[in-house]
Amino acid sequence: MTHRLALVTTAALTFACALVQAQTQSPPDLSGSWERYRGTTGDPATPPPEAAPPLKAALLAEWQARRDAERAADARGEPIASGYVHCLPDGVPSMMSGPFPLEIVQGRTQINIAQEAYSQVRRIYLGKPQLTLDDIELGFYGRSAGVWDGGTLVVDTIGIKDYVRFRDVPHTPDRRITERLRLVTPDVLWDEITIEDPAVLEKPWTVTFAYKRMPDYEIIEYVCEDNREYADENGVTRLRLGAPE
Amino acid sequence: MGGWLSRGTLTALALLVASSAMAHHSFAIFDHTQTYTLKGTVLSFQWTNPHGYLELDVEDGPGDVEHFTLELTSINMLRRAGWKSSDVKTGDQVTAIVAPLLNGDPGGLLLELKVPDGRTLTPPVPAIGTFKRTP
Repeated sequence: MTHRLALVTTAALTFACALVQAQTQSPPDLSGSWERYRGTTGDPATPPPEAAPPLKAALLAEWQARRDAERAADARGEPIASGYVHCLPDGVPSMMSGPFPLEIVQGRTQINIAQEAYSQVRRIYLGKPQLTLDDIELGFYGRSAGVWDGGTLVVDTIGIKDYVRFRDVPHTPDRRITERLRLVTPDVLWDEITIEDPAVLEKPWTVTFAYKRMPDYEIIEYVCEDNREYADENGVTRLRLGAPE
Repeated sequence: MGGWLSRGTLTALALLVASSAMAHHSFAIFDHTQTYTLKGTVLSFQWTNPHGYLELDVEDGPGDVEHFTLELTSINMLRRAGWKSSDVKTGDQVTAIVAPLLNGDPGGLLLELKVPDGRTLTPPVPAIGTFKRTP
């Protein structure tokens, strides 16, 4: 009897230890600098190709027309002035697409992701509930709440201004962005971004970006200090020349 | 749906032009079909974002100097490609290969720069191969 009790106790203790271990398993360390990785043939860490936005039919026509107009303007040598001409940052989730390196600073209760271009920073709060739109002001980065699901960081983001767009796609205040960040190899990170916005999209839209570690890279400051490109009265990008006095 | 669209449209219309191409920096203001080779004296090398700039005086006959403004990429990209702000100094005699501005203004996109110490520096212009080199 004593022997049996000891066996049961041991098994229970083993299970409890395993449970505690699973619950307290350290998340992977994503800290450091990362650059966009587009993959190579045969590399399983290559992210899936980017899908076009599954926009509702009426919006898809508008979206396509805007992109066609943009291409035609480029071909004429009169590109439509972009947010960059106004020194505006990309915001979430566009900043995750690059173009410059990212830096992740990982803490227990907060993870910051910086995009070198325009010195953009987004903050992901861990262990705190997501707020409602009534509690936040709309912005470029919104409000992000994160949770570790095993080795995957799941991030929920709401509250992006309507003109801060990803791939030029319009969105409503109801849009939710869910990101799943995980290491697919020790040095390749994927961010699987799923956008849900039933008034605009026929179905959830998922885009995956991959990044490679830049082991010794230190992020360089970026200040939009002297922007000589400007939008003329027709919204066309022009260059201000710096001729001497 | 009408609610957000009508509310949003007011804001969006004002900013559509500015935002529709948010993630798109275009080099379309520069000529992709020809290049100029400019030999001149550096007036200044401006190490700033969102782009660096090289101001160049080019002698165009005795006593006749034409001034060119040359755009480079972001200095962060230059730095990652090995450039330093000290690579080019005021007064340096340099040779620049340039994709000119399409509107005819005296300026262009710098594609290659030969500096006095003999090095040829190449800015990391995205899709640089799409700019056709001409003599």
